[in-house]
Amino acid sequence: MKTLLAIREREYDWVRQAFPSIHPLLLPLCNKPFTEFLIDFAILAGSSEIRLLSDGPLGEVKEYCENGNRWGVQLSYATLHAEDSFQDLIDKNRKFCGDDRIMIISGFSFISYDKHQGYANIMSLMPAETCASCSSGSITIFGNTETPSTNRPVLPLTILPLDNVGSYYRISLETLENGSARYVLPGYGNEPGCAIGRNVVISKTAEIRKPVSIGNNVQILSGAVIGPSAVIGSNVIIDKESTVKSGIILDNTYIGEHLEVTGRIASGNMLTDPRSGASIAMEDPHLMTGIKAGGKSGTAGRKTVHAVAAAILISMQLFPFLLLFPLLKLQGSWSSGTTTCQGDSSGKSFSMPTSEITGTGLAVSLAAAISLDRLPMLLRVVTGQLAIIGSAPIIVSDRTTSFPAGNPGYRPAVFSYAEAEDWPVNGSDAAIVERFYAMHSTPVKDIGMTIKALLNKLYEKNAA
Amino acid sequence: MTITETLKGSITVVAINGALDASTAPELQRSPAITNASQTVVIDFEHVDFLDSSGLGALIGTLRKKRDMSAETLLSCMNDRISQVFEITNAYRLFHIFDDTSAAVDYATQLISRK
Repeated sequence: MKTLLAIREREYDWVRQAFPSIHPLLLPLCNKPFTEFLIDFAILAGSSEIRLLSDGPLGEVKEYCENGNRWGVQLSYATLHAEDSFQDLIDKNRKFCGDDRIMIISGFSFISYDKHQGYANIMSLMPAETCASCSSGSITIFGNTETPSTNRPVLPLTILPLDNVGSYYRISLETLENGSARYVLPGYGNEPGCAIGRNVVISKTAEIRKPVSIGNNVQILSGAVIGPSAVIGSNVIIDKESTVKSGIILDNTYIGEHLEVTGRIASGNMLTDPRSGASIAMEDPHLMTGIKAGGKSGTAGRKTVHAVAAAILISMQLFPFLLLFPLLKLQGSWSSGTTTCQGDSSGKSFSMPTSEITGTGLAVSLAAAISLDRLPMLLRVVTGQLAIIGSAPIIVSDRTTSFPAGNPGYRPAVFSYAEAEDWPVNGSDAAIVERFYAMHSTPVKDIGMTIKALLNKLYEKNAA
Repeated sequence: MTITETLKGSITVVAINGALDASTAPELQRSPAITNASQTVVIDFEHVDFLDSSGLGALIGTLRKKRDMSAETLLSCMNDRISQVFEITNAYRLFHIFDDTSAAVDYATQLISRK
């Protein structure tokens, strides 16, 4: 048997809202990512090949799960469209499916299985139909049974909807409290109900009360009380005299001194009440904050190259600017203003100067052809706020809510890659070429692309 | 790059062999099945080893042009490297992508019959 895991973005949209720093498919349930539970179940059900399908980005999931060697299965990845039916999924993956029986696990839901049950045998007897379902997911079998049976077997599992913070909290803590016998959970523990990861430092005066799960690279400082029923993720620091009880501390979180986290979920600087779904951001980093990974190397080098290129361009444009600007201003052809734009990965917005050249005449054509309207923006490249080439800046509005998950590689710039490649400058097509170069460009290539954008503007004006 | 066009019922399979980049994308755009905006095509990527932004642009241009005429552009048999380009750019959201060309042809035939 082979398994298709089909998970649509709309089914896990709530995770993006609640825990923006975590890829929804890697959301830890107790101390193990969501996808890993599905892979475990597919293996228990007798699958040797598994394909993960989603209409959302899978980069981080691929990085984590790789090719499935870790589990002794072949794991591959493909895309789907939100409206695809089960038959469409089988058609789109016909080479993968071949003539085998196919199990489609669909939806963002939790399969509450028991590793001691013989699922492989049960599944081989299961007729082709939906054998388990809930409001947000299902398990469906396609293909004839290997050994026909008159009695329909009972599938000893339940599917639980994973559709909000409350259900996530309940399932995660239930997995901690009762799951060690049912699931394969990572971490070392010489007694039941206590799993501890690698590189964990626990102060002599800290107290650990079962059941508890502690991830990798965790520091629990003096006087802290962890548990009962506490899930501590990886890269977490629990500072002195703090208590975590019936709570979940997600990865990369610092819990300050003398804090009590009871019945809450902490992620970065966000504290969420699972019952109401309400969350607050802690502004004081001494109370709670995110632990950030180091920035990408090469960013400083790129900024320097861009700044030097911008300085050269400014010096080239300065003389024509001094000559043409007074003329254009007098004609009323030059208008300028400021707009608030979305910043890069920091997510902070900034004010950006904008200029527009309108009208007709020789001075207007010349100024537009040599991109004089971009001169005020070029000054922001020198200060490092903008890149010389990258994404068209996103204007901040009430609707700008998808950053950064919806815009990976976004880098606001004076010129966009879409302009360099002569693609439509706005809309979803422009975003495609911008993402392409966000992953494939180098600082030197950026200079070439900037020249291309300048030449495109020059030719475009001449052609007009 | 070589382009082979094969008619399968009412669908044309456009098999590309080689790299689809700035130097070869215009050749794809000039091929008869791509030029004919009302012709639904399945572009077979089995022997495509490289795709750049110009190649991607040619595919998206083809898709837009054909959709305006109620025709479709389906893609099949991409290797990991090519599918990665579609993933990082989110271009996979625009296309129906298959791992088997005959399945793509069957799907395209169904799409046409539904219209």
